[in-house]
Amino acid sequence: MTVRAAAGALPLALLGAAALALGGDAVPVEAGLEARDGRLVASLDLRPAFPDDLRKTFANGLTNVVALQVALLPEHGDAPSAVFGRVLEIRYDVWEERYVVTVRDAASPAGRQLTERSWAGLRRLLSDARDLDLGPAAAVATGSWVVQARVEVNPVSRELLERTREFIANPPSGVRGGAPSRSVLGAMASYLLHGSDGGDSRLFAARPFTAREVRTP
Amino acid sequence: MTAPGPAGGRGGEPAGAAAAPAPAGARPRRIRPSRFEVQIALALVLAAAVPLGAALWLASRLAAENLALGLNPRVVARLEATPALYGDLFQARKQLYAEQARALARALPRDAAAIPAFLEAAVRHTPRLRRIAVIDARGEVRAEAENPEPNPEGEWREAPARVPLGAGETLEAVFAVEARFFADLDDARELAEGMAGVEALRAEIQQSYVRAFALLLGAWAVAAGLAGWWLARRTTRRVSDLVRAVRELARGDLRVQVRVGPGGAADEVGQLARAFNTMVDEVRESRDRIVYLEKISGWQEVARRLAHEIKNPLTPILLAFQQLEAHHRERPAADPAFARLLADAGEIVREEIGTLQRLVDEFSGFAKLPEVRPEPADLGEFAEDFARTSPVEGAAVEVARAAGPCPVSLDRALMRRVLQNLVQNAVEAARPAPARVRLGVSRARDRAVLTVSDDGPGVPPELRERVFDPYFTTKAEGTGLGLAIAKKIVLQHGGDISAGAIPEGGSRFTLTFPQREAPPPPAS
Ligand SMILES: Nc1ncnc2c1ncn2[C@@H]1O[C@H](COP(=O)(O)OP(=O)(O)OP(=O)(O)O)[C@@H](O)[C@H]1O
Ligand SMILES: [Mg+2]
Repeated sequence: MTVRAAAGALPLALLGAAALALGGDAVPVEAGLEARDGRLVASLDLRPAFPDDLRKTFANGLTNVVALQVALLPEHGDAPSAVFGRVLEIRYDVWEERYVVTVRDAASPAGRQLTERSWAGLRRLLSDARDLDLGPAAAVATGSWVVQARVEVNPVSRELLERTREFIANPPSGVRGGAPSRSVLGAMASYLLHGSDGGDSRLFAARPFTAREVRTP
Repeated sequence: MTAPGPAGGRGGEPAGAAAAPAPAGARPRRIRPSRFEVQIALALVLAAAVPLGAALWLASRLAAENLALGLNPRVVARLEATPALYGDLFQARKQLYAEQARALARALPRDAAAIPAFLEAAVRHTPRLRRIAVIDARGEVRAEAENPEPNPEGEWREAPARVPLGAGETLEAVFAVEARFFADLDDARELAEGMAGVEALRAEIQQSYVRAFALLLGAWAVAAGLAGWWLARRTTRRVSDLVRAVRELARGDLRVQVRVGPGGAADEVGQLARAFNTMVDEVRESRDRIVYLEKISGWQEVARRLAHEIKNPLTPILLAFQQLEAHHRERPAADPAFARLLADAGEIVREEIGTLQRLVDEFSGFAKLPEVRPEPADLGEFAEDFARTSPVEGAAVEVARAAGPCPVSLDRALMRRVLQNLVQNAVEAARPAPARVRLGVSRARDRAVLTVSDDGPGVPPELRERVFDPYFTTKAEGTGLGLAIAKKIVLQHGGDISAGAIPEGGSRFTLTFPQREAPPPPAS
């Protein structure tokens, strides 16, 4: 299992609970809202999150991770009433010449695989975020609400942090073929290593809605 | 005589007071650091802070450079480009195989019967071609050939190439791609992903190293500071003890002593403490000497006046009585009882006047002690001379001398008197048995020592200070001046005298004198 592949294995709830910075700099996006079996299900058009210049990144043959966190917030307020997390791992298979996408979310924790031949297809697949479960539909019966989404491309995952910690605590010894050695300084450094908040992360928000705008089948 | 002046009461101090001269070091320890300690601690902190700061800066540079070395962005970029390289390789292979399949399709014989042989030959002669087949429109295999030999490049994966032949037929050629390409690709990808991850955390890793280094350095500095403080405290405490002792000395306490710790006894502070103790001892001794001599001269003055006052009326008393007797002889009275009374009284008066006369002689002898005029002498020879030439009645005197000379400065006549007094006391103490007196001569460091011991009952410990007081005596006939005179003379020689005992119980008087010059050093 590769580093980025493993990133998908981290608890989605934790990822979803990551702070959703609120601010005026959220990019507006289109949202569709639907009440399905009493649950509020949203779909977002995240095309602005995946510009064409990501093509090179996604086609590099490495595992790339897209973390999507969607939150439902009251229009005036910053405590989300529901949070949804989804992790997509994209890898371009250079032999088969196609994108293999593994999607993990609450509905499929083990992940479901999709393949896509072209960048256009992959972009469509990534942009079209559907089945975003935002809790019971009754929660939005009154007031006006906002759906926000944070899209992170290749975030620093907890797993990566762990691996890096392990790596600096047991650096490969200088001797050729020698086993990794435990180093005091490295162990302390690994203990003091914290993840960065930085990373390629962007915030999107749909315009406020009320219960009347939620479609019912 | 009690003369409690500012310096008084020292020489004759009761023995109990001398028992516990509290060393300055034994005071309760103060936790509050002395100024000296604070200064040393500050110096340590300053001395530590500068290199630590520099080390921290160096460490951050080192971490940054190390990371830059290990995480060369070009290496990371190269690694990340590896899958694309494999992609190109695969592309090339696929094109090559397609080309080869097309060539084979073009060369395929029209005659269906010749096709199997052609396919066999193609499998044998085309590199990496594992299998080839002609498939008809319905998907059925019309002819095929497979390479029975193992692939020379080891394990492989299938890379099919299909060429339409017309009439719905297809030529399908399956080529081999080395399986190791895929393993290598996976490896490279994993490595690149790991590197990219570390690269993403580069700043954090560097920071964590600097933090860890700062923490370790801090711990190290604290440990070093504590150790330094502990070491400094050992010295500064001894210096503080010295300061305290000097203050006490200034306040007039001549019994103050500084503890010379066993650990730092050899260093300068230890030497200073020892020198201080010696100095205080010497000051005390010389002050005691001065006090005693002052006291003695006071007593001498008393003795002189007393002798004068007693001596003057003695002659008129005697003359008056003699006139009384002469008168009675000229005209003897009829009363015989009076004659007898007069005779008895005359005897008493003469005897008592004689006693008073002797007392007056002793007093004036004590009052007019001559000045000490020391001359170079050898203490051992002097003792032997004394034993030979100044026999005291009832005493057997023997001398035990340490080997080698014992040069001192002596007033022989006065010192002879000292020894006579001491031997006389021994004789009186041993009475009625004859006294055996031993004179011992030895050297102790820079002092010459003369001991006078006897086999009498000895001086009781509680009297060993007081026997040197003038007029202190335990004898009916004694004046108590013998030892006082002896002590005055010894002190005037720059020496000292003390009373003690020998193990057998007899008394031992120890006289010490400064050595005139150090004896020649023993040949090494
Ligand atoms: N060798 C000795 N053994 C025991 N007691 C001694 C000895 N020498 C001195 N003393 C004690 O010390 C006292 C003082 O002695 P010191 O010679 O001063 O006076 P004295 O002998 O009593 O009188 P004086 O010497 O004037 O005849 C003595 O009375 C005696 O008690
Ligand atoms: Mg005497």
